Amino acid sequence: MDFRFDIIVEYFPFFMEGMGLTILMSVVGVIMGCILGFFIALGKMSPFVFVRLPFVWYINFLRGTPLLVQLFLFHYAVLPSILGSTTPVLSVMVTLSLNSSAYVAEIFRAGLQSIDKGQAEAAHSLGMNKIQVMRHVLLPQAFKRSIPPLGNEFIVLLKDSSLGAMIAAQELLYWGRAASGQYLRVWEPYLMVALVYLVLTLSLTYLLNYMERRFDVK
Amino acid sequence: MISVKHLKKSFGDLEVLKDINADINQKEVVVVIGPSGSGKSTFLRCLNLIEPVTDGTVMIDGVELTDKKVDINKLRAEVGMVFQQFNLFPHKTVIENITLPIITVKKWNKTDAEQKAKDLLKKVGLLEKANAYPESLSGGQKQRVAIARALGMEPKVMLFDEPTSALDPEMVGEVLEVMKQLAEEGMTMVVVTHEMGFAKEVGDRVIFMDEGYIVEENEPNQLFDDPQHQRTKAFLSKVL
Ligand SMILES: Nc1ncnc2c1ncn2[C@@H]1O[C@H](COP(=O)(O)OP(=O)(O)OP(=O)(O)O)[C@@H](O)[C@H]1O
Ligand SMILES: [Mg+2]
Repeated sequence: MDFRFDIIVEYFPFFMEGMGLTILMSVVGVIMGCILGFFIALGKMSPFVFVRLPFVWYINFLRGTPLLVQLFLFHYAVLPSILGSTTPVLSVMVTLSLNSSAYVAEIFRAGLQSIDKGQAEAAHSLGMNKIQVMRHVLLPQAFKRSIPPLGNEFIVLLKDSSLGAMIAAQELLYWGRAASGQYLRVWEPYLMVALVYLVLTLSLTYLLNYMERRFDVK
Repeated sequence: MISVKHLKKSFGDLEVLKDINADINQKEVVVVIGPSGSGKSTFLRCLNLIEPVTDGTVMIDGVELTDKKVDINKLRAEVGMVFQQFNLFPHKTVIENITLPIITVKKWNKTDAEQKAKDLLKKVGLLEKANAYPESLSGGQKQRVAIARALGMEPKVMLFDEPTSALDPEMVGEVLEVMKQLAEEGMTMVVVTHEMGFAKEVGDRVIFMDEGYIVEENEPNQLFDDPQHQRTKAFLSKVL
């Protein structure tokens, strides 16, 4: 079997461009996911059923339906009817943000609930109010415990952003499909795409391990 | 100082405190003893509203705790509590553990709070550990920091819930020593403990609780040497 390196060489600039977009969409997704996820976690922990319920179902929906279905729903239905029109990249970023917010919310909630009850009791017994206890005692500890699962979520998100190719967002896999379509070759473009994803996820894993170590030295 | 009348506390169907009446005077050291599950911790926790009271009244320094208009956080700041499990904040250094409530609740500035914290650390003999993290301390040191942290709020009363039960035997003494010193300075204290030696030496009065009631209370020597009730006798014969 001959391996046509020239295809990879020719498409290399596009793969790099696609990689840039893949990174951008994932970063936006994870940042927005963290911000939204934080509030959703708080909402889901509300003592009032009526406050809690919408958040519970938000999480149920986003975790219980395929990401690709959500992407189609947002790209073809939800965003056009809200904004009038949308672009593939915008749709991917919105969908990834919302989808990851549901997972991040559960990560934060688990983190908060894993903190020993004595921590809040001690803080309250010193006269601190609920907000102070949350801010100074519970959140810093919960956040630290959330770093490893958040890292995993980031890696999942990075790989899932490849679904953007299904609505022609010009990320990494999109260019693999383009190269494959042009030359009617399957091995070279898809191996190349897989390799780039692997480099990205491994670098990220390395970075996250480094961060975990950094956060442990207090 | 503290006046408890007909205090009742239930968790669902389980009535844990059935009818508690007690008065604790200023500068008095009251030791609470009793079998496991008798409601000692619950009683203590009702005194600073970590557990909401089901029925009855608790007055501290003229303020009715169960009054809806009372500022709970202000009240809690005036009632220090020390826990069996220390409950230091692991992500804060020793000195930050002490300054955090002083800064957030009392609204002192950082410099004053740190000065106060250092004075307290000196008092419990741990000034050199100011910048250590709790995980690097021994159990006895942790508990002394916890006491210093509670004192930082300048409470009117200190509640201790089995402060030495989680400690290795060789560390019990250093914590009891700090408590004894506090008592000598005139702090009003309510102490749940199994340390009968401490009760005899430092306690002004001992309360014996069983099954949600105060069965008997008396001066330490009286209660230990001449218990009036069968249940007190049975309990003491097991622990003494
Ligand atoms: N939050 C709670 N929910 C339900 N039941 C509780 C709760 N806290 C305590 N109890 C129950 O109340 C009873 C009294 O508990 P408490 O902790 O006050 O006893 P104690 O005298 O401090 O015992 P110990 O010596 O073991 O600490 C026990 O039967 C316990 O199971
Ligand atoms: Mg107890």
